[in-house]
Amino acid sequence: MKPPEFGYHRPASLPDALALLGANAGAKPLAGGQSLIPAMNFRLAAPAALVDLNQLTELSGITESADGGLAIGAMTRHSAVERSPLVRARAPLLSLAMPFIAHSQIRSRGTLGGSLAHADPAAELPAVMVALDARLTVESTRGTRVIPAGEFFTGLFATVLEPGELITRIEIPPAPPGSGAAFLELARRHGDYALVGVAVVVTLDAGRVGGARIVLFSVGEGPVRAGAAERALAGSAGDQAAIRAAAAAVQRDIDPPADIHASAAYRRQLASVLTGRALTSAFERAGSSGP
Amino acid sequence: MIVQGVHLFPGPREAVWTLLLDPDVLAKTMPGTAKITRTGPDRYEGTMAMGIGPISAATFDVAIVITDQLEPERYTMQIDGRGGFGFTRGIAAVSLATEDGATRMHYQADLQVGGKIAAVGQRLLDSVSKLLLRQGLEAMTRELERRLAGGAA
Repeated sequence: MKPPEFGYHRPASLPDALALLGANAGAKPLAGGQSLIPAMNFRLAAPAALVDLNQLTELSGITESADGGLAIGAMTRHSAVERSPLVRARAPLLSLAMPFIAHSQIRSRGTLGGSLAHADPAAELPAVMVALDARLTVESTRGTRVIPAGEFFTGLFATVLEPGELITRIEIPPAPPGSGAAFLELARRHGDYALVGVAVVVTLDAGRVGGARIVLFSVGEGPVRAGAAERALAGSAGDQAAIRAAAAAVQRDIDPPADIHASAAYRRQLASVLTGRALTSAFERAGSSGP
Repeated sequence: MIVQGVHLFPGPREAVWTLLLDPDVLAKTMPGTAKITRTGPDRYEGTMAMGIGPISAATFDVAIVITDQLEPERYTMQIDGRGGFGFTRGIAAVSLATEDGATRMHYQADLQVGGKIAAVGQRLLDSVSKLLLRQGLEAMTRELERRLAGGAA
């Protein structure tokens, strides 16, 4: 399997990369290439040119922001995020999710920005970023804009990114005190696309649920915020009764697809089970103010 | 793959029937349809080009034969699509019922999808078909509203 002929550019700086993307309408940015290159080899994708971002060291790295949150360069590899003690301390949900992303070989190459721009409905990171209320910095020759993750994903492999725009940075706000996170997914084999997955962040404020963000994936066209389940928790003590109510309510939040691996009804049931388990872990962690 | 559902059109059944079988409307409303022509009393042929996510532009030649017509109540479509990325073929049954001045359409399709597109994109077929159907029905509803409001016939 070989891709059709394509042009290749390897800019040495971000302004050069943005200029190349702005000037070549048929060009696609190449980040880790873990989805784009297989699609090209299968000849499902045939971009006229690739703009290889792998020389842009300024887009890699994990730093602490002034507010105590994190700023992660879009070209940071999954493996670097997975191993980062800073991420584990400041954004435990992200650390918890990393081992579920494909296989270690893919994580050593794939990038945060690449996964978010690709917007696969079964991908872990879009759901994690929505749950963390992350902000994505997006740049082009026309300027810079900052987009909340909750507004970034618009459908099946679809985002608000316009032609020539590149994700350059992901900012994660600091976790409020008394918060706990959990991440769960089920796949037939480790590393397969998840049948259903869920990312949750809850906050306990004087023994009451002060906030809850529950985001599912692999149940629709993109990450799905479970509004009914979140409302079921609001004001409760985060006890088992409230968790059961939220786990039941999550079925109203989704309209999952069916495929050869699982029926829609099975995915719906699985979403409830995983949400219940994830909330139980998250509240335990919030109560002990651990990760 | 079974695709089924219900859609409510805000207009009388006769208008919906005419809309659904008008090749110009189909070309305008079905996602990715470049052109579609009536090549026989009950036969349509056309081309569709669809790009979703990493798939740039899958082009299909599509032939549709209408059978079992009972105007304005129901019909069956035999669908045969072929392209470089694979094929789809199957049968879709459409029925229309009057409901408080509106028209309730019930559709049920049994489609086989094969070739490269099915091998690589199997997990996405259900989501993609839901997405295309929703876009098509929304566009048809807008076209119906435009016609009922006195737009071009």
